Amino acid sequence: MKDEKIRLINEEGIRIDGRRPEELRPLRIEIGVLDKSDGSAYVELGKTKIFAAVFGPREVHPKHLALPDRALLNCRYHMTSFSVDERKPLGMTRREIELSKVIREALESVVFLEEFPRTSIDVYVEVIQADGGTRTAGLTAASLALAEAGIPIADLVAAVAVGKVEGHIVLDLCDLEDKFGEADMPIAIAPRLNSIVLLQLNGRFSKEEFKKALELAKKGIHEIYQKQKEALKNKFSEVSLMEV
Amino acid sequence: MPLYFSEREIVLPGQLLSDDSKRSGEGTYVLGNKVYASTVGFATIKNDKVCVIPFKGAYTPQPGDRVIGIVIDVKPNGFEVSLGRHLIATIRMPDKKEVQALNLKVGEVVYAYVKESGLRGVFLEAGEKIKKITSGLLVSMHPSKIPRLIGRRGSMINMIKKETGCDMLVGRNGFIVIKGPSPLSEYAAVSAIKLIEKEAHSQGLTERVENLIRSIIGGEAGYER
Repeated sequence: MKDEKIRLINEEGIRIDGRRPEELRPLRIEIGVLDKSDGSAYVELGKTKIFAAVFGPREVHPKHLALPDRALLNCRYHMTSFSVDERKPLGMTRREIELSKVIREALESVVFLEEFPRTSIDVYVEVIQADGGTRTAGLTAASLALAEAGIPIADLVAAVAVGKVEGHIVLDLCDLEDKFGEADMPIAIAPRLNSIVLLQLNGRFSKEEFKKALELAKKGIHEIYQKQKEALKNKFSEVSLMEV
Repeated sequence: MPLYFSEREIVLPGQLLSDDSKRSGEGTYVLGNKVYASTVGFATIKNDKVCVIPFKGAYTPQPGDRVIGIVIDVKPNGFEVSLGRHLIATIRMPDKKEVQALNLKVGEVVYAYVKESGLRGVFLEAGEKIKKITSGLLVSMHPSKIPRLIGRRGSMINMIKKETGCDMLVGRNGFIVIKGPSPLSEYAAVSAIKLIEKEAHSQGLTERVENLIRSIIGGEAGYER
Protein backbone atom coordinates (compact mmCIF):
# COMPACT_ATOMS: atom_id res chain seq x y z
CA MET A 1 0.00 0.00 0.00
CA LYS A 2 2.70 2.42 0.98
CA ASP A 3 4.58 2.28 -2.29
CA GLU A 4 1.47 2.72 -4.38
CA LYS A 5 1.55 6.15 -5.99
CA ILE A 6 -1.58 8.02 -6.96
CA ARG A 7 -1.99 7.99 -10.70
CA LEU A 8 -3.04 11.49 -11.70
CA ILE A 9 -3.59 10.63 -15.32
CA ASN A 10 -4.21 7.17 -16.82
CA GLU A 11 -3.07 5.50 -20.04
CA GLU A 12 -6.03 6.83 -22.01
CA GLY A 13 -5.17 10.37 -20.91
CA ILE A 14 -8.11 10.67 -18.53
CA ARG A 15 -7.37 12.69 -15.41
CA ILE A 16 -8.06 11.81 -11.79
CA ASP A 17 -11.44 13.56 -11.82
CA GLY A 18 -12.45 12.10 -15.18
CA ARG A 19 -11.59 15.05 -17.40
CA ARG A 20 -9.59 15.15 -20.59
CA PRO A 21 -6.32 17.16 -20.42
CA GLU A 22 -7.74 20.23 -22.20
CA GLU A 23 -11.06 20.27 -20.36
CA LEU A 24 -12.27 22.82 -17.80
CA ARG A 25 -14.21 21.86 -14.72
CA PRO A 26 -17.93 22.77 -14.81
CA LEU A 27 -18.20 26.52 -14.34
CA ARG A 28 -21.09 28.32 -12.71
CA ILE A 29 -21.26 32.10 -12.44
CA GLU A 30 -23.76 34.21 -10.54
CA ILE A 31 -23.76 37.97 -10.34
CA GLY A 32 -25.25 40.30 -7.74
CA VAL A 33 -25.44 37.73 -4.96
CA LEU A 34 -24.63 39.94 -1.97
CA ASP A 35 -27.07 42.66 -0.97
CA LYS A 36 -24.86 44.97 1.06
CA SER A 37 -22.03 45.26 -1.45
CA ASP A 38 -21.96 47.56 -4.46
CA GLY A 39 -21.13 44.66 -6.72
CA SER A 40 -20.66 40.95 -6.13
CA ALA A 41 -20.18 37.67 -7.93
CA TYR A 42 -20.06 33.98 -7.13
CA VAL A 43 -17.91 31.62 -9.13
CA GLU A 44 -17.98 27.86 -8.82
CA LEU A 45 -15.33 25.96 -10.75
CA GLY A 46 -15.72 22.30 -9.96
CA LYS A 47 -15.35 22.10 -6.19
CA THR A 48 -13.75 25.54 -5.91
CA LYS A 49 -16.33 28.01 -4.61
CA ILE A 50 -15.62 31.72 -4.34
CA PHE A 51 -17.45 34.91 -3.47
CA ALA A 52 -16.15 38.30 -4.53
CA ALA A 53 -17.53 41.62 -3.31
CA VAL A 54 -16.70 45.17 -4.30
CA PHE A 55 -17.30 48.24 -2.18
CA GLY A 56 -16.72 51.74 -3.36
CA PRO A 57 -15.61 54.16 -4.48
CA ARG A 58 -15.73 55.17 -0.85
CA GLU A 59 -13.78 57.17 1.67
CA VAL A 60 -10.24 56.00 2.39
CA HIS A 61 -9.38 54.81 5.87
CA PRO A 62 -6.92 55.79 7.24
CA LYS A 63 -7.23 59.09 5.43
CA HIS A 64 -3.52 59.70 4.83
CA LEU A 65 -3.39 56.78 2.40
CA ALA A 66 -5.65 58.60 -0.06
CA LEU A 67 -4.03 59.44 -3.39
CA PRO A 68 -4.66 62.89 -4.84
CA ASP A 69 -4.89 61.76 -8.48
CA ARG A 70 -6.52 58.35 -8.39
CA ALA A 71 -8.37 55.82 -6.31
CA LEU A 72 -6.72 53.34 -4.02
CA LEU A 73 -7.46 49.74 -4.91
CA ASN A 74 -7.56 47.48 -1.88
CA CYS A 75 -7.80 43.78 -2.28
CA ARG A 76 -8.21 41.02 0.25
CA TYR A 77 -7.98 37.40 -0.74
CA HIS A 78 -9.04 35.25 2.15
CA MET A 79 -9.74 31.58 2.66
CA THR A 80 -12.42 30.68 5.16
CA SER A 81 -11.18 28.37 7.87
CA PHE A 82 -13.45 25.58 6.61
CA SER A 83 -12.40 25.89 2.98
CA VAL A 84 -9.61 23.32 3.23
CA ASP A 85 -9.27 19.79 4.64
CA GLU A 86 -7.39 20.87 7.73
CA ARG A 87 -8.82 23.92 9.47
CA LYS A 88 -7.00 27.05 8.36
CA PRO A 89 -6.38 29.37 11.32
CA LEU A 90 -8.13 32.72 11.17
CA GLY A 91 -6.24 35.73 9.95
CA MET A 92 -4.11 36.34 6.93
CA THR A 93 -1.30 33.94 6.23
CA ARG A 94 1.76 34.87 4.17
CA ARG A 95 0.24 33.13 1.18
CA GLU A 96 -3.00 35.07 1.44
CA ILE A 97 -1.17 38.37 1.71
CA GLU A 98 0.80 37.55 -1.43
CA LEU A 99 -2.27 36.49 -3.37
CA SER A 100 -4.06 39.67 -2.32
CA LYS A 101 -1.18 41.57 -3.84
CA VAL A 102 -1.08 39.70 -7.15
CA ILE A 103 -4.86 39.93 -7.55
CA ARG A 104 -4.72 43.66 -6.81
CA GLU A 105 -1.98 44.20 -9.36
CA ALA A 106 -3.87 42.23 -11.99
CA LEU A 107 -7.00 44.31 -11.40
CA GLU A 108 -5.08 47.59 -11.34
CA SER A 109 -4.21 47.08 -14.98
CA VAL A 110 -7.86 47.16 -16.06
CA VAL A 111 -9.60 49.52 -13.59
CA PHE A 112 -9.74 53.24 -14.47
CA LEU A 113 -8.64 54.37 -11.04
CA GLU A 114 -8.04 57.98 -12.09
CA GLU A 115 -11.79 58.53 -12.35
CA PHE A 116 -12.20 58.56 -8.58
CA PRO A 117 -9.41 60.57 -6.95
CA ARG A 118 -9.06 60.46 -3.15
CA THR A 119 -11.28 57.40 -2.75
CA SER A 120 -10.78 53.71 -2.29
CA ILE A 121 -12.23 50.73 -4.09
CA ASP A 122 -12.24 47.62 -1.92
CA VAL A 123 -12.32 44.15 -3.39
CA TYR A 124 -12.91 41.16 -1.14
CA VAL A 125 -12.32 37.66 -2.45
CA GLU A 126 -13.55 35.02 -0.05
CA VAL A 127 -12.81 31.36 -0.71
CA ILE A 128 -15.64 29.22 0.60
CA GLN A 129 -14.25 25.93 -0.64
CA ALA A 130 -10.80 25.39 -2.10
CA ASP A 131 -9.96 22.75 -4.68
CA GLY A 132 -7.13 24.30 -6.65
CA GLY A 133 -7.21 27.38 -8.85
CA THR A 134 -8.59 29.70 -6.20
CA ARG A 135 -6.56 32.75 -7.20
CA THR A 136 -7.65 32.42 -10.81
CA ALA A 137 -11.30 31.80 -9.98
CA GLY A 138 -11.08 34.64 -7.44
CA LEU A 139 -9.82 36.98 -10.13
CA THR A 140 -12.59 35.90 -12.50
CA ALA A 141 -15.15 36.64 -9.79
CA ALA A 142 -13.53 39.94 -8.74
CA SER A 143 -13.61 41.37 -12.26
CA LEU A 144 -17.31 40.51 -12.56
CA ALA A 145 -18.02 42.13 -9.21
CA LEU A 146 -16.24 45.29 -10.40
CA ALA A 147 -18.31 45.32 -13.57
CA GLU A 148 -21.50 44.88 -11.58
CA ALA A 149 -20.52 47.69 -9.23
CA GLY A 150 -20.42 49.99 -12.25
CA ILE A 151 -16.76 50.80 -11.82
CA PRO A 152 -15.21 51.68 -15.19
CA ILE A 153 -12.91 48.92 -16.37
CA ALA A 154 -11.11 48.50 -19.68
CA ASP A 155 -11.96 44.83 -19.88
CA LEU A 156 -13.05 41.86 -17.82
CA VAL A 157 -10.33 39.58 -16.52
CA ALA A 158 -10.59 35.86 -17.02
CA ALA A 159 -8.10 33.50 -15.43
CA VAL A 160 -7.23 29.84 -15.40
CA ALA A 161 -4.35 27.61 -14.29
CA VAL A 162 -2.41 25.30 -16.58
CA GLY A 163 0.16 22.77 -15.49
CA LYS A 164 2.13 19.65 -16.13
CA VAL A 165 0.91 16.42 -14.65
CA GLU A 166 2.90 13.23 -15.23
CA GLY A 167 4.32 14.69 -18.41
CA HIS A 168 1.04 15.92 -19.85
CA ILE A 169 0.11 19.59 -20.22
CA VAL A 170 -3.30 19.97 -18.59
CA LEU A 171 -5.82 22.78 -18.17
CA ASP A 172 -7.45 23.91 -14.93
CA LEU A 173 -5.64 21.91 -12.25
CA CYS A 174 -7.53 20.53 -9.30
CA ASP A 175 -6.04 20.38 -5.83
CA LEU A 176 -4.41 16.94 -6.23
CA GLU A 177 -2.89 17.78 -9.59
CA ASP A 178 -1.58 21.04 -8.13
CA LYS A 179 0.03 19.26 -5.18
CA PHE A 180 1.48 16.20 -6.90
CA GLY A 181 1.97 17.48 -10.45
CA GLU A 182 5.24 18.79 -11.84
CA ALA A 183 4.23 22.35 -12.68
CA ASP A 184 1.41 24.81 -12.06
CA MET A 185 1.00 28.08 -13.91
CA PRO A 186 -1.89 30.42 -13.11
CA ILE A 187 -2.59 32.89 -15.92
CA ALA A 188 -4.99 35.83 -16.07
CA ILE A 189 -5.72 37.63 -19.31
CA ALA A 190 -7.77 40.67 -20.27
CA PRO A 191 -9.03 39.11 -23.52
CA ARG A 192 -10.11 42.25 -25.40
CA LEU A 193 -6.91 44.06 -24.59
CA ASN A 194 -5.08 40.83 -25.33
CA SER A 195 -2.76 41.39 -22.40
CA ILE A 196 -1.58 39.04 -19.70
CA VAL A 197 -2.26 40.58 -16.30
CA LEU A 198 -1.04 37.73 -14.12
CA LEU A 199 1.37 34.90 -14.73
CA GLN A 200 3.02 32.79 -12.08
CA LEU A 201 4.81 29.49 -12.39
CA ASN A 202 5.55 26.84 -9.82
CA GLY A 203 7.76 24.00 -11.09
CA ARG A 204 9.43 23.69 -14.45
CA PHE A 205 8.44 23.93 -18.08
CA SER A 206 10.65 23.55 -21.11
CA LYS A 207 10.31 26.29 -23.72
CA GLU A 208 8.07 24.12 -25.90
CA GLU A 209 5.94 23.09 -22.94
CA PHE A 210 5.54 26.69 -21.88
CA LYS A 211 4.31 27.69 -25.32
CA LYS A 212 1.89 24.79 -25.41
CA ALA A 213 0.65 25.58 -21.90
CA LEU A 214 0.10 29.24 -22.78
CA GLU A 215 -1.92 28.32 -25.86
CA LEU A 216 -4.01 25.93 -23.81
CA ALA A 217 -4.60 28.59 -21.15
CA LYS A 218 -5.72 31.07 -23.82
CA LYS A 219 -8.27 28.55 -25.04
CA GLY A 220 -9.57 27.99 -21.51
CA ILE A 221 -9.69 31.70 -20.80
CA HIS A 222 -11.66 32.32 -23.96
CA GLU A 223 -14.24 29.81 -22.76
CA ILE A 224 -14.44 31.43 -19.31
CA TYR A 225 -14.69 34.89 -20.87
CA GLN A 226 -17.72 33.85 -22.93
CA LYS A 227 -19.41 32.54 -19.78
CA GLN A 228 -18.59 35.78 -17.94
CA LYS A 229 -20.16 37.89 -20.68
CA GLU A 230 -23.20 35.65 -20.80
CA ALA A 231 -23.67 35.93 -17.02
CA LEU A 232 -23.39 39.73 -17.09
CA LYS A 233 -25.82 40.00 -20.00
CA ASN A 234 -28.33 37.75 -18.23
CA LYS A 235 -28.05 39.75 -15.05
CA PHE A 236 -28.75 43.02 -16.79
CA SER A 237 -31.16 41.92 -19.52
CA GLU A 238 -34.07 42.30 -17.12
CA VAL A 239 -33.02 45.91 -16.69
CA SER A 240 -33.49 46.57 -20.38
CA LEU A 241 -37.22 46.16 -19.90
CA MET A 242 -37.28 49.12 -17.58
CA GLU A 243 -38.41 52.45 -18.89
CA VAL A 244 -35.59 54.89 -18.32
CA MET B 1 -18.08 56.04 -39.57
CA PRO B 2 -19.42 52.64 -38.65
CA LEU B 3 -20.90 51.95 -35.24
CA TYR B 4 -20.71 48.50 -33.76
CA PHE B 5 -23.88 48.58 -31.69
CA SER B 6 -27.58 49.10 -32.06
CA GLU B 7 -29.31 51.84 -30.09
CA ARG B 8 -30.09 50.79 -26.49
CA GLU B 9 -28.09 47.61 -26.79
CA ILE B 10 -26.61 46.25 -23.56
CA VAL B 11 -22.85 46.54 -23.86
CA LEU B 12 -20.11 45.12 -21.64
CA PRO B 13 -16.73 46.56 -20.62
CA GLY B 14 -14.24 46.23 -23.45
CA GLN B 15 -16.84 46.04 -26.20
CA LEU B 16 -15.93 47.87 -29.41
CA LEU B 17 -18.37 50.70 -30.10
CA SER B 18 -16.88 52.92 -32.81
CA ASP B 19 -13.84 53.55 -34.98
CA ASP B 20 -13.91 57.29 -34.45
CA SER B 21 -11.96 58.25 -31.34
CA LYS B 22 -13.45 61.77 -31.40
CA ARG B 23 -16.86 60.37 -30.59
CA SER B 24 -15.90 58.95 -27.21
CA GLY B 25 -18.42 60.08 -24.59
CA GLU B 26 -19.42 59.16 -21.07
CA GLY B 27 -18.86 55.53 -20.07
CA THR B 28 -16.37 54.83 -22.85
CA TYR B 29 -12.63 54.92 -23.40
CA VAL B 30 -10.30 55.26 -26.35
CA LEU B 31 -7.57 52.78 -27.20
CA GLY B 32 -5.70 52.90 -30.48
CA ASN B 33 -8.20 55.29 -32.13
CA LYS B 34 -11.14 53.08 -31.29
CA VAL B 35 -13.92 53.59 -28.78
CA TYR B 36 -14.73 50.85 -26.28
CA ALA B 37 -17.29 50.63 -23.48
CA SER B 38 -15.93 50.88 -19.94
CA THR B 39 -19.09 50.03 -17.98
CA VAL B 40 -22.08 47.77 -18.30
CA GLY B 41 -25.01 49.74 -19.67
CA PHE B 42 -27.06 50.88 -22.63
CA ALA B 43 -25.10 52.14 -25.60
CA THR B 44 -26.55 55.28 -27.08
CA ILE B 45 -25.64 58.43 -28.97
CA LYS B 46 -25.83 61.74 -27.13
CA ASN B 47 -24.87 64.97 -28.91
CA ASP B 48 -23.15 62.95 -31.62
CA LYS B 49 -21.01 61.15 -29.02
CA VAL B 50 -21.07 57.48 -28.28
CA CYS B 51 -22.12 57.04 -24.65
CA VAL B 52 -22.87 54.21 -22.29
CA ILE B 53 -25.59 54.85 -19.72
CA PRO B 54 -24.47 52.77 -16.75
CA PHE B 55 -26.92 50.57 -14.86
CA LYS B 56 -25.14 50.95 -11.57
CA GLY B 57 -22.29 52.91 -10.13
CA ALA B 58 -21.19 55.86 -8.09
CA TYR B 59 -22.79 59.24 -8.61
CA THR B 60 -20.54 61.73 -10.36
CA PRO B 61 -21.77 65.28 -9.88
CA GLN B 62 -22.45 67.23 -13.06
CA PRO B 63 -22.69 71.03 -13.17
CA GLY B 64 -26.32 72.05 -12.76
CA ASP B 65 -27.37 69.01 -10.74
CA ARG B 66 -29.58 69.68 -7.78
CA VAL B 67 -28.26 67.97 -4.67
CA ILE B 68 -29.05 67.70 -0.98
CA GLY B 69 -26.13 67.73 1.42
CA ILE B 70 -25.40 67.62 5.12
CA VAL B 71 -23.12 70.31 6.51
CA ILE B 72 -20.06 68.68 8.07
CA ASP B 73 -17.82 71.70 8.61
CA VAL B 74 -18.20 75.44 8.89
CA LYS B 75 -15.19 77.46 7.77
CA PRO B 76 -14.58 81.21 7.79
CA ASN B 77 -15.00 81.37 4.01
CA GLY B 78 -17.57 78.69 3.37
CA PHE B 79 -18.92 75.26 4.21
CA GLU B 80 -18.13 71.64 3.63
CA VAL B 81 -21.08 69.49 2.74
CA SER B 82 -21.36 65.72 2.59
CA LEU B 83 -23.25 64.42 -0.42
CA GLY B 84 -23.33 60.87 0.91
CA ARG B 85 -20.86 58.04 0.33
CA HIS B 86 -17.42 59.38 -0.55
CA LEU B 87 -18.49 62.75 -1.91
CA ILE B 88 -17.67 65.92 -0.06
CA ALA B 89 -18.57 69.24 -1.67
CA THR B 90 -17.39 72.72 -0.84
CA ILE B 91 -19.36 75.93 -0.83
CA ARG B 92 -16.99 78.86 -1.19
CA MET B 93 -18.12 82.31 -0.17
CA PRO B 94 -15.78 85.23 -0.71
CA ASP B 95 -17.72 87.39 1.74
CA LYS B 96 -17.64 86.45 5.41
CA LYS B 97 -20.94 88.18 5.99
CA GLU B 98 -22.61 85.77 3.64
CA VAL B 99 -21.42 82.85 5.74
CA GLN B 100 -22.82 84.42 8.84
CA ALA B 101 -26.06 85.35 7.14
CA LEU B 102 -26.76 81.75 6.20
CA ASN B 103 -26.16 80.71 9.81
CA LEU B 104 -25.62 77.05 9.00
CA LYS B 105 -24.49 74.66 11.70
CA VAL B 106 -22.88 71.27 11.43
CA GLY B 107 -25.53 68.63 10.81
CA GLU B 108 -27.95 70.93 9.02
CA VAL B 109 -29.22 70.11 5.57
CA VAL B 110 -29.01 72.25 2.44
CA TYR B 111 -30.45 72.06 -1.07
CA ALA B 112 -28.02 73.39 -3.64
CA TYR B 113 -26.80 73.33 -7.23
CA VAL B 114 -23.51 71.84 -8.40
CA LYS B 115 -21.28 74.53 -9.87
CA GLU B 116 -18.13 72.63 -10.72
CA SER B 117 -16.89 69.09 -10.40
CA GLY B 118 -13.47 67.82 -11.24
CA LEU B 119 -10.04 66.90 -9.99
CA ARG B 120 -10.03 69.76 -7.53
CA GLY B 121 -13.21 68.57 -5.90
CA VAL B 122 -16.90 69.36 -6.02
CA PHE B 123 -18.13 72.92 -5.60
CA LEU B 124 -21.68 74.06 -5.01
CA GLU B 125 -23.20 77.35 -6.14
CA ALA B 126 -23.05 79.98 -3.43
CA GLY B 127 -25.48 82.84 -2.91
CA GLU B 128 -29.21 82.74 -3.36
CA LYS B 129 -29.31 79.30 -4.90
CA ILE B 130 -28.61 77.66 -1.55
CA LYS B 131 -31.71 76.69 0.36
CA LYS B 132 -31.53 75.72 3.98
CA ILE B 133 -33.88 72.89 4.89
CA THR B 134 -35.31 73.43 8.33
CA SER B 135 -37.74 70.55 8.72
CA GLY B 136 -38.73 67.28 7.12
CA LEU B 137 -37.62 63.71 6.87
CA LEU B 138 -34.24 62.94 5.28
CA VAL B 139 -34.21 59.66 3.38
CA SER B 140 -31.41 58.22 1.28
CA MET B 141 -31.58 56.05 -1.80
CA HIS B 142 -29.04 54.65 -4.22
CA PRO B 143 -28.15 57.51 -6.63
CA SER B 144 -28.44 55.26 -9.68
CA LYS B 145 -32.13 54.80 -8.95
CA ILE B 146 -33.04 58.48 -8.68
CA PRO B 147 -34.09 58.73 -12.37
CA ARG B 148 -36.58 55.95 -11.70
CA LEU B 149 -37.96 57.81 -8.69
CA ILE B 150 -38.50 60.89 -10.82
CA GLY B 151 -39.87 58.93 -13.76
CA ARG B 152 -40.57 60.15 -17.26
CA ARG B 153 -40.96 63.91 -17.09
CA GLY B 154 -41.53 63.61 -13.35
CA SER B 155 -44.48 61.21 -13.65
CA MET B 156 -43.51 59.04 -10.69
CA ILE B 157 -42.54 61.79 -8.27
CA ASN B 158 -45.62 63.87 -9.14
CA MET B 159 -47.83 60.86 -8.52
CA ILE B 160 -46.26 60.25 -5.10
CA LYS B 161 -46.63 63.92 -4.20
CA LYS B 162 -50.26 63.92 -5.28
CA GLU B 163 -51.23 60.67 -3.59
CA THR B 164 -49.52 61.32 -0.27
CA GLY B 165 -49.90 65.08 -0.14
CA CYS B 166 -46.24 65.36 0.83
CA ASP B 167 -43.80 67.96 -0.35
CA MET B 168 -40.63 66.29 -1.63
CA LEU B 169 -37.20 67.57 -2.54
CA VAL B 170 -35.05 65.17 -4.51
CA GLY B 171 -31.27 65.49 -4.62
CA ARG B 172 -29.52 63.82 -7.55
CA ASN B 173 -26.97 62.45 -5.08
CA GLY B 174 -29.55 60.16 -3.46
CA PHE B 175 -30.85 62.26 -0.57
CA ILE B 176 -34.55 63.04 -0.45
CA VAL B 177 -36.36 65.35 1.97
CA ILE B 178 -40.01 64.61 2.68
CA LYS B 179 -42.37 66.97 4.43
CA GLY B 180 -45.94 65.85 4.86
CA PRO B 181 -49.15 66.85 6.58
CA SER B 182 -49.13 63.77 8.83
CA PRO B 183 -46.72 61.03 9.94
CA LEU B 184 -48.80 58.52 8.02
CA SER B 185 -48.43 60.39 4.75
CA GLU B 186 -44.69 60.64 5.31
CA TYR B 187 -44.58 56.94 6.06
CA ALA B 188 -46.39 56.23 2.80
CA ALA B 189 -43.89 58.33 0.84
CA VAL B 190 -40.91 56.58 2.44
CA SER B 191 -42.46 53.17 1.73
CA ALA B 192 -42.91 54.20 -1.88
CA ILE B 193 -39.24 55.19 -2.12
CA LYS B 194 -38.12 51.90 -0.60
CA LEU B 195 -40.29 49.97 -3.05
CA ILE B 196 -38.84 51.88 -6.00
CA GLU B 197 -35.31 51.26 -4.79
CA LYS B 198 -35.99 47.54 -4.46
CA GLU B 199 -37.87 47.03 -7.71
CA ALA B 200 -36.36 49.75 -9.90
CA HIS B 201 -35.87 47.33 -12.77
CA SER B 202 -39.41 46.00 -13.06
CA GLN B 203 -42.24 47.08 -15.30
CA GLY B 204 -45.52 48.61 -14.18
CA LEU B 205 -43.89 50.04 -11.08
CA THR B 206 -45.88 53.28 -11.05
CA GLU B 207 -49.10 51.33 -10.62
CA ARG B 208 -47.74 49.22 -7.78
CA VAL B 209 -46.38 52.26 -5.99
CA GLU B 210 -49.77 53.91 -6.33
CA ASN B 211 -51.51 50.87 -4.86
CA LEU B 212 -49.05 50.74 -1.97
CA ILE B 213 -49.59 54.38 -1.10
CA ARG B 214 -53.37 54.02 -1.30
CA SER B 215 -53.37 50.97 0.94
CA ILE B 216 -51.26 52.76 3.55
CA ILE B 217 -53.19 56.02 3.44
CA GLY B 218 -56.52 54.22 3.32
CA GLY B 219 -55.62 52.31 6.48
CA GLU B 220 -55.81 48.93 4.75
CA ALA B 221 -52.24 48.11 5.58
CA GLY B 222 -53.02 48.28 9.27
CA TYR B 223 -51.56 51.69 10.03
CA GLU B 224 -53.77 54.10 11.89
CA ARG B 225 -54.22 57.65 10.91
